[in-house]
Amino acid sequence: MSSTPQAGDPATAGPSSRGPGRSDRRPDLDSLYCINADGSRNKIHTADVRGRYQRRKWVLWAILIAIYLVVPWILIGGKPAFLIDIPRRHFYLLGNTFNAQDFWLAFFVVTGIGFSLIVVSAMWGRVWCGYGCPQTVFLEGVYRRVERFFEGNAAKRKKLDAAGVTPEKVLRRTGKYATYLALSVVLSHTFLGYFMPVREVVKAMAGSPSEHPSAFLFVLVFTAIIFFNFAWFREQLCIVICPYGRLQSVLYDQDTVNVGYDKNRGEPRGKHNVEGRGDCIDCHRCVAVCPTGIDIRNGTQLECVGCANCIDACDEVMDKLGQPRGLVRYDSLRGFEQGQRRFWRPRVLLYAVLLLIGIAVFAVAITKRTAFEANVVRVQGSAYTLDGETVTNAFVIHLVNKLPATTTFSVEAIASAGVEWTIPLPSVTLESLADQRLPVLAKFQRGRLKSGTIVQLVVTSEDERRTVDVKLLGP
Amino acid sequence: MTQDVLRGHEFDGITEFDNRLPNWWLWTFYLACIFSFVYWIHYHVLRTGPSSLQQYQAEMAEAEAAALTQVVTDEDLTAKSKDSAAVAAGKAVYTTNCVACHADNGGAVMVVPGQPPIQLPGVNLTDKFWLHGGKPADLYKTVTQGVQGTAMVAWGMVLGANKCQDVVAYIMTLRNTNVPGGKEPQGQEYVGK
Repeated sequence: MSSTPQAGDPATAGPSSRGPGRSDRRPDLDSLYCINADGSRNKIHTADVRGRYQRRKWVLWAILIAIYLVVPWILIGGKPAFLIDIPRRHFYLLGNTFNAQDFWLAFFVVTGIGFSLIVVSAMWGRVWCGYGCPQTVFLEGVYRRVERFFEGNAAKRKKLDAAGVTPEKVLRRTGKYATYLALSVVLSHTFLGYFMPVREVVKAMAGSPSEHPSAFLFVLVFTAIIFFNFAWFREQLCIVICPYGRLQSVLYDQDTVNVGYDKNRGEPRGKHNVEGRGDCIDCHRCVAVCPTGIDIRNGTQLECVGCANCIDACDEVMDKLGQPRGLVRYDSLRGFEQGQRRFWRPRVLLYAVLLLIGIAVFAVAITKRTAFEANVVRVQGSAYTLDGETVTNAFVIHLVNKLPATTTFSVEAIASAGVEWTIPLPSVTLESLADQRLPVLAKFQRGRLKSGTIVQLVVTSEDERRTVDVKLLGP
Repeated sequence: MTQDVLRGHEFDGITEFDNRLPNWWLWTFYLACIFSFVYWIHYHVLRTGPSSLQQYQAEMAEAEAAALTQVVTDEDLTAKSKDSAAVAAGKAVYTTNCVACHADNGGAVMVVPGQPPIQLPGVNLTDKFWLHGGKPADLYKTVTQGVQGTAMVAWGMVLGANKCQDVVAYIMTLRNTNVPGGKEPQGQEYVGK
């Protein structure tokens, strides 16, 4: 584990008690709390907690969930605000349209997300995990609330788990899992709405699965994954699968602000108001509210998703004791040890410089994006045809309108001595992301032009004029 | 086990616990082992399943057989020309790809108000005369394979067989409509439907 365990630490020393189902098991640094010594699952029953960080999370999560559910429905100028239409390779983002030729821009999206995660965790630890990650938002904000509704608080849930099959248990479990399933169906259909226009999703839902086999399969698989993940897998995703938590030890430094425990103030822990004792009364509230089953007093651990439950739990206890808040708080290692916080440090400046470079490159790149494609290809077959003394070159211009609006394009040739052009359709109106092939013929007298002569066509949209080179071939 | 087992090695003060993997994780491993064993027996020992090469050959043979049955006959196309859905689909293909040379009414003459009519490179599709054969299968061949040296592209590569058949179905509804102002007849007269 990527923590700083200290030898002789009261929390890590001594034999552990990890027998299956042992109620006296305490989190330690040597093992995963959610796995028993025999490999079976140790189900974590997170206790309820209230406090300022919970209120912030609730507001944020309500907004995030609303965004997730609403975004597929929003239209901007008749086009989806966000849609990744993979079969047609049409991508819509906030009134802009992209096609497969713009896919290279995804590089900036991916590296931008990666860079942001790195910078955010170097500065403020795993705030993404605790506040923004869909795993946390839906697990803590939705599914665990449903569980709480049907099965009661942590103690009741634990009792229900231990109980044999009773009518009450069957009823409560059925209610819980039925609600889980309904929620998972909503989430998976909404997810599909990011890849298929959501109104088509609704229409497809009314039809038979055989009419939309791939959409149906998508929803089926994702409903199953979402249900399984939030009903059973839960914190194991963060601990066992997600690579982000494993990165934290290389991203953190002495000044990274993170959820932590003030050892100097808290230790030695024990009974309140006893001479020589620290402020920690060893009430285990911070452990009871932890969704990943760690003891934050053991230091930073990879299981910690930075949810701040333990901060709120400890603050509540400190309030009751009349002690100042912040025994468990957001602070840096330097802050906990020396009472100092430092924000500006070389790596922050380096990140800022890298960010500026990235933005500059992206800004240049985005200007290279074209409003339309105009590719001239030679008609398949022979390179040219000879009819008497007349040489004919046949081309097709493939026009793609990448603009969000319907646009009229015109094609004309730049006059070139000895070349007779035929452009049957000199002007064409294309809808957004529509394409059309326009034939173009160029004729010249044999011997009048050298084979390989370059001539030009001009494609004009409403606000761009582009010259396209065409090579004439002949005997 | 009530005691964590420490592995007997140490590197720079770092020691390692031998904690057990989650059972579900071990099961993914066991199931993968069982699957690979069954797979190995089935494909490589008993050879009851086809090898990659055999699968490839089977698919190629299937594709060849399919190509043989995909010869488009006059009857197929005549049937399609009476199918309104195919004709409508063909009209859409025509509007996108063919109007440039054959005009939107099939007459191959572009009319711009106030200007003399412009002769387009295509043939008039609304008369009885055809340069490259007027039988439905001939039309299909012309559309899919194109005509070398002209702007008539081999559309088969671009549109695929279905759209080509649709567009032929549409063209068959145009013939003998003799739109006014169409291009002069070219090629051989074709009598028949």
